[in-house]
Amino acid sequence: MMQRKMRGRGVAASWYGIARTATIDRAGAWAELDDGGTGKIVTGVTEIGEGILTVLAQIAAEELGVRPEDITIGDNDTARSPEAAHAGATRQTYMIGNSVALACRDARTKLDAEIAKVWGVETETIRAFNGEIWSEGSNLRMSMEEAVDLCKKRGIVPVGSGAFTAHGTGLDPVNGTGSPWQAYVFGCQVAEVEVDTVTGEVQVLGIWAAHDVGRAINPRGVEGQIEGGVVQGLGQALMEDYQLDKGHTKTHGFAKYILPTSLDIPQINTTIIEDRDPKSPLGAKGIGEPALVPTAPAIMNAIYDAVGVRIKSLPATPEKILAALAERAMRTKGVAA
Amino acid sequence: MSDLELEMHINGRAVKRRAAPHLRLLDFLRDDLNMTGTKEGCGAGECGTCSVFVDGKLVKSCLMPVGKANGARIETIEGLAPKGGDLTEVQRAFHKTGASQCGYCIPGMVMAATSALRENPDAGIEEIKERLGGNICRCTGYTKIFEAVEIARDVIAGRLSAAALEPDPAGNSFIGNNVRRLDAPSKVSGRLRYAGDMVMPDMLHMQVLRSPHPHARIRVIDVSAAHALPGVACVITAADVPGEDGFGVFVHDQPIMARGIVRYVGEAVAAVAAEDVLTAKEALRLIKVEYDELPAVFDPEDAMKIGAPVLHDYAPTNITKHIPIRKGDVEQGFAEADLIVEDYYETQQVEHAYLEPEAGLAYVDHDDVVTVISPSQNITHHRHMLAKIIDKPINKVRFIMSPVGGGFGGKEDMIYQGMLALAAMKSGRPVRLVYTREESIISTAKRHPARITYKMGLKNDGRITAVEFKMISDGGAYGMSTEGVMRKAAILACGPYDIPNVKIDTIGVYTNNTPSGAFRTFGAMQAQFATESHLDICAEKLGLDPFEIRRRNMMQDGAITHTQQTLGKVSIGTVLDAAETASHWEAGAPGRGESRSDLGGEGTRAPCTLGARFAPAVAKVKKEVA
Amino acid sequence: MLTCDHYLMPTSLEEALMLWRGAPSGSRLVAGATDILPWAREGRAGDVHLPSLIDLSRVKELCGYTVEAGKVRLGANVVYQQFLEDETLRRHLPAMPFCAIWFADDQIRQQATLAGNIVNASPAGDGIPPVIAMNGEIEMARLDGDRIVRRTMRVAEFLRGPGKTALGPDEIVTAIICESMEGYGGSFQKVGQRRSLVISSVCAAAFVKTDPSGEIFEDVRLALGGVGPVPLRLTDIEDMLRGQRITRQLVADAAGLPADRVASRTRRDYRRAVVRGFIEAAIEDALVACGAPQPGPAQREAAHV
Repeated sequence: MMQRKMRGRGVAASWYGIARTATIDRAGAWAELDDGGTGKIVTGVTEIGEGILTVLAQIAAEELGVRPEDITIGDNDTARSPEAAHAGATRQTYMIGNSVALACRDARTKLDAEIAKVWGVETETIRAFNGEIWSEGSNLRMSMEEAVDLCKKRGIVPVGSGAFTAHGTGLDPVNGTGSPWQAYVFGCQVAEVEVDTVTGEVQVLGIWAAHDVGRAINPRGVEGQIEGGVVQGLGQALMEDYQLDKGHTKTHGFAKYILPTSLDIPQINTTIIEDRDPKSPLGAKGIGEPALVPTAPAIMNAIYDAVGVRIKSLPATPEKILAALAERAMRTKGVAA
Repeated sequence: MSDLELEMHINGRAVKRRAAPHLRLLDFLRDDLNMTGTKEGCGAGECGTCSVFVDGKLVKSCLMPVGKANGARIETIEGLAPKGGDLTEVQRAFHKTGASQCGYCIPGMVMAATSALRENPDAGIEEIKERLGGNICRCTGYTKIFEAVEIARDVIAGRLSAAALEPDPAGNSFIGNNVRRLDAPSKVSGRLRYAGDMVMPDMLHMQVLRSPHPHARIRVIDVSAAHALPGVACVITAADVPGEDGFGVFVHDQPIMARGIVRYVGEAVAAVAAEDVLTAKEALRLIKVEYDELPAVFDPEDAMKIGAPVLHDYAPTNITKHIPIRKGDVEQGFAEADLIVEDYYETQQVEHAYLEPEAGLAYVDHDDVVTVISPSQNITHHRHMLAKIIDKPINKVRFIMSPVGGGFGGKEDMIYQGMLALAAMKSGRPVRLVYTREESIISTAKRHPARITYKMGLKNDGRITAVEFKMISDGGAYGMSTEGVMRKAAILACGPYDIPNVKIDTIGVYTNNTPSGAFRTFGAMQAQFATESHLDICAEKLGLDPFEIRRRNMMQDGAITHTQQTLGKVSIGTVLDAAETASHWEAGAPGRGESRSDLGGEGTRAPCTLGARFAPAVAKVKKEVA
Repeated sequence: MLTCDHYLMPTSLEEALMLWRGAPSGSRLVAGATDILPWAREGRAGDVHLPSLIDLSRVKELCGYTVEAGKVRLGANVVYQQFLEDETLRRHLPAMPFCAIWFADDQIRQQATLAGNIVNASPAGDGIPPVIAMNGEIEMARLDGDRIVRRTMRVAEFLRGPGKTALGPDEIVTAIICESMEGYGGSFQKVGQRRSLVISSVCAAAFVKTDPSGEIFEDVRLALGGVGPVPLRLTDIEDMLRGQRITRQLVADAAGLPADRVASRTRRDYRRAVVRGFIEAAIEDALVACGAPQPGPAQREAAHV
């Protein structure tokens, strides 16, 4: 005899490599400290929804000494911007983020040199943040708007460029030996589920997700990536299934291809771990893809914990769960007899 | 056809128009009035990107013939915050919490949230979730959306200060700060134009003829009748490709349109550019294609058998890519083991289901530059490939990445951009193509399904001595990202564990199924699903806590990976500790279920029982008691 | 994609019937339109061109409802959302709010009609089990010369199989007439592949009325959906329970009966397994809705083998 609603918990860990695999990855960016103390960034690839525009603006603002809302990002155009390769492979923050940081530093070097000359101080003393520039250890200070104006009046346009490289090596074709990435991230998720033994339906009630991201440029954005990844993982774990019959799809639209809705969402509890990357200027790594790796196995492990059936073939539909429960009941009966 | 005479009030303005009788309210808003804040995600009422108010009630405008809206008051996303006006509390809350990611579902989601709070300003979170139940979001995992709606509710009700909608203070660094998304205002207001929202003067509309067969030889394609149809500007087939036809991320095995052979159902065979979509569709029906059906193969293991139908001449075994990884001596490792556990795992084909279906707009500019605007995740590579395909110098090919309404790897392949470029070149006019949801599902790549055979040897203390891992993946009809997916799956297959002896093989195989391609995790989730399930089975057999078996095997600083790379610092231990602590995990072997003491605590939600709106009285009573 | 030559919106029944009689062959009636638009898409009917679409949503005789002599007459234009929001309907049709909350979503429920759901005759149509449990009748009208002729029949007889009904070629559905179930507790169970916007794999509707002591089943109505070509009324279980003392064992015994009647061609084992638990849950929930105490987990589990 079994209660109708049974709960259980499961855990799964994961790892992932950052940026392109087993190859040399690269990206470029241009930066300009522009009129009005604003910043202009141009790079070849940006937003696909993950929030990289905002992350790049934060990085540029930090490096240029202005505010994120002062940054304009011109991008996405092979005829107008430097190559930054593709939007994928959990490479955006790592590759483009570091390129932008380097480009901004390059532009700042030129501006700082001029301002240092004006003030008669060492360039190394120049600091800037939030639209203001000053010389450390003095009361010399002006707005970035004034600084850019001054720099230009002295004949210098403060522009910079940057390129970042991640050194992966190819795999040996026979034994696979190689160093595919220079940065790795690790993750772990715990799932708590409730299984309805009448219908076979599984509700995921809680996910605790701990992920190393190197450095969270925008913690809320990192959470958003984790929450989105978890729910995609949940969809694959429980309901999504593209079905073919002799090459013809049986799941033409969203009436048949079932996606998670607002009623399927666990409470997602995120812990961000920041183990900085030593090989890049920012220390950030990434989170886009790794967020969903441990979700499905954590849920399957939780289902097993709850009702003692192991679903080894995704997705764990209500029908599969009930069939497994029936098979388990038969087995138990057999043992008892 | 008799046009409808329509009069309605849209966002407070009187509109009087004639419209074709078959239009949906969605078409009328988007195509006739150019109000593109309302999106089309599925056309079948299943996603909610098209939600609008009609006489105060929220409906899905893709399910409403425009005639039904005649005489009605319509409110769209553009009407919530009039141009130049302040965003509403709901919109500002979405901005504050980061509730928009790709943004494509967001106009509809904002409308649904607005409706929820209009219907019940005191709605609890369960009722809010129910009222958002018709709107799919593929990016956010809904969590930040729920948070936003609750904040908006409380601000509107005066329970929470409007300051809650303001940005966090900067502190002394913008790094590590929750800077609000810069693109959110354009998304929550419906102002952002995706490729399918863009129009150009003199623009043509493309429709694509697709293969009804999984494997067939094309004997003849006769486009003459289609070409002769008034309103048709051009019809294109593989014969129109001027250069070296073929694209793909690792191997360029896929022609822009089927070249002599179709290899999967839904493969593009020909395309028409016409003055409007209906004419283009009619022209498709006039294209005559004669096929000789060929034997087809649908199972990757069958495809590797001798005598199986061969899809591509360069791969006579149908193996797209085999990645082997060898470390140590697995036979010796298994000999040393106290316990050997073998099992078999399967994962399914998964659709990316970004809410924005594929769309693009191509034109040839005044300097003869062939320009393609599309939500491409890889404009750099697309430019390279297209230049060869259309035989142009690389600086005469330009790719512009339009806002991407969700990608997840699914928009890395140059599936349709080549057709747009060819049609723009042939017609000399801008050409737009917008996929239907069904077209997107049938013709674009999926997550690779996997069949994984697993053998693990362990000592009684839980230490893994050896793993033998074999994964066979159906790559479908074209190579796309299969090679890379097999590589990443192989490298990461055995997880963050220090295992002295491994033998890993991942094999991607051609079949006549819908192609598999890049999808968030690129093979890693399939492989690690097996590893992490398998570890739990072993933990139970050894009576070990699942965290403990992972700790006993995890990589340490300086570990040597399965590909024999030496790592620096390794954070898996910290990560395991964090998850264990945060979840208040009670240690013990798997299979304890209801006897655990750590269930149902903070960090979990209540199970969903539909009908939250019937129970406000109950909730109120409970509140008063508390 | 659905295209048409004419989209017509009559405002009276007579006008609608005239248009329908005169419509070229292949024309269609439209109520909420929430089924016909998704139907005319790739993977289903594909591109469809129809001569005329006659939209009934503005036919005044089809709007609204009346409660009279123990019967609720629901005009064919009554939409699902009304079962959630209208106090009178909730009182007289006490399973319908629970059915409606599972039906599609809040937005589709603003357009989708119960009558349309019945006319579509899907084996999984959520609205049908509660209606047949309420001895629902369907009223149809046609023109005989210039005269409007109406007829009614039991919904259970109206449904002939998946997509098949007794509706005549010149008829329009004008109303669904149910017994008022005031004083009954109502419930609705459903499982699909998720909890919103989902087609039933199995669904069950129950109405239960107890005697004044609350200890005897005065009346029970039960019906299942998704278990065969047409939804199933479980009169033998109703008879078995009616007049009996309410015990968990009785409910459990009753729930064991219907599994072998699941006649679906697909997923039969699954549906049979679910049905038993659903009958039990449907009766329990309906009992609670008519005032019985909520059974604690121990009571629930005691009966659930």
